[in-house]
Amino acid sequence: MFTILGRSVLSILSYYGQLTLLVWDTITSIFSLGIRWKLALRQVVEMGFRSQLVVTVTGAFTGAVFAAQTFFQFNRLGMESAVGPVVSISMFRELGPVLAGLMVAGRVGAAIAAEIGTMKVTEQIDALRALGVQPVDYLVVPRVVALLLSMPLLVAECVGFSLIAGWFVGTRVLGISEAYFLNNMQHYTDGFDIAWALSKGFVFGLVIVFLSCYEGLNAREGAVGVGRAPTEAVVRCSLTILVSNFFLSFGLNVIFPTT
Amino acid sequence: MIEVQDLHKRLGTQEVLRGVNLAITRGQTCVVLGRSGCGKSVLLKHLIGLLQPTSGQVLIEGENISSLPERALLQVRRKVGMLFQSGALFDSMTVEQNLAFPLQEQGIRDSKVIDERVHEALDMVELLGSEKKMPEKLSGGMRKRVGLARTIVGRPACILYDEPTTGLDPITSDSINHLIRRLQRRLTVTSVVVTHDLKTAYHCADHVVMLHEGQVYFSGTIDELNASTDPVITDFIEGRSGESD
Repeated sequence: MFTILGRSVLSILSYYGQLTLLVWDTITSIFSLGIRWKLALRQVVEMGFRSQLVVTVTGAFTGAVFAAQTFFQFNRLGMESAVGPVVSISMFRELGPVLAGLMVAGRVGAAIAAEIGTMKVTEQIDALRALGVQPVDYLVVPRVVALLLSMPLLVAECVGFSLIAGWFVGTRVLGISEAYFLNNMQHYTDGFDIAWALSKGFVFGLVIVFLSCYEGLNAREGAVGVGRAPTEAVVRCSLTILVSNFFLSFGLNVIFPTT
Repeated sequence: MIEVQDLHKRLGTQEVLRGVNLAITRGQTCVVLGRSGCGKSVLLKHLIGLLQPTSGQVLIEGENISSLPERALLQVRRKVGMLFQSGALFDSMTVEQNLAFPLQEQGIRDSKVIDERVHEALDMVELLGSEKKMPEKLSGGMRKRVGLARTIVGRPACILYDEPTTGLDPITSDSINHLIRRLQRRLTVTSVVVTHDLKTAYHCADHVVMLHEGQVYFSGTIDELNASTDPVITDFIEGRSGESD
């Protein structure tokens, strides 16, 4: 019993210790050797540009269904004019960043872990080291920079499309007054809400890229090992995003208080 | 040039290397023989610092690389090239880009110089005309040749070969063996070849080391190996497992 407990504790400590070392190596590499911008921009296209479809569709349909459900409930109380602000604040503060984070974790996190994991088991990472190149400098830093640039923009896109879809369903389909919808939405949404969404996007970007790179770099040998790396990456990223979102919301409420 | 002193390596619960001692002279080709799983590749990876020993040390030109941090090792690794068992070509790059990569990492920016060096390396491995091919379009033997070209393009002082003929047909194996010998003569590099293929040893070796149970069991010339009456050595040379039907 104690042996099993001890092993589990050691395993958790070892995981977080190695993850911390990866983060430290990345920070050291960025400040001492700089950034390989060509590789980073290629990753911006791969991870950011090509993730737009998935986050905009997710945002749009979530915004649309959220506006509809809010209308169905609020209509009974004669509060349909509150649909706009409810959709807006919910999407900016919680749903937009979390949904974009989960979708990017699924698409980008899995791809990072699978690509780096395959490179590891086919000795390409050893080859990089043998050629005098640190894998962190070549593989991790460009991806970190790319996702840190892309993720806040993807969150903004997700929220933007959710608001457009919410507006369309609310005003054009369900008949809410457009003036009330937009005026209340603008009145109750401020710069803090936008900062809140972008901050969460930045943090979730960090979570996704570091956890996925770690899983790739530590992939085990064979097809099973490479197969497990993306699965582990997506599961860990998704859970970390959901749990950290709760704590971030409390922390950000102190930095950007609700007025 | 390379000295290994009392090298021990434990992987998990298994002690793979149990006090290996080895000295390789500059310009010499040393072939490390042994059965699969005896620790040959593990030993080779220590010579370039890809693995850290549990105890003991590896000296490259007198410098103990076992105690160097990863970033300090990068400079040492530019003096020592390694051909991996699978070739380990970067599958997102063409053959040409694979070969240009180490040069760009050495800080060479002149595309004319890079093109010349890439051309020269491909010529040495007789693969001119394959510049634009992707690694997945190459056969096993071609991948090893491109891997070798990528190793020599940076003009290392020492080349490490990990099972250079494993998985290849006898004719391709023979051509790789000739290539190793030719490169050693043309570039006068120090070479360490890890293999269980005796033909490679007969063709390339100036010095032969045989690993058995994680230790150096034999060290000498190929003639001395052939003359040995030790049952472990004769069983290995004659391919006897000791089993009967």
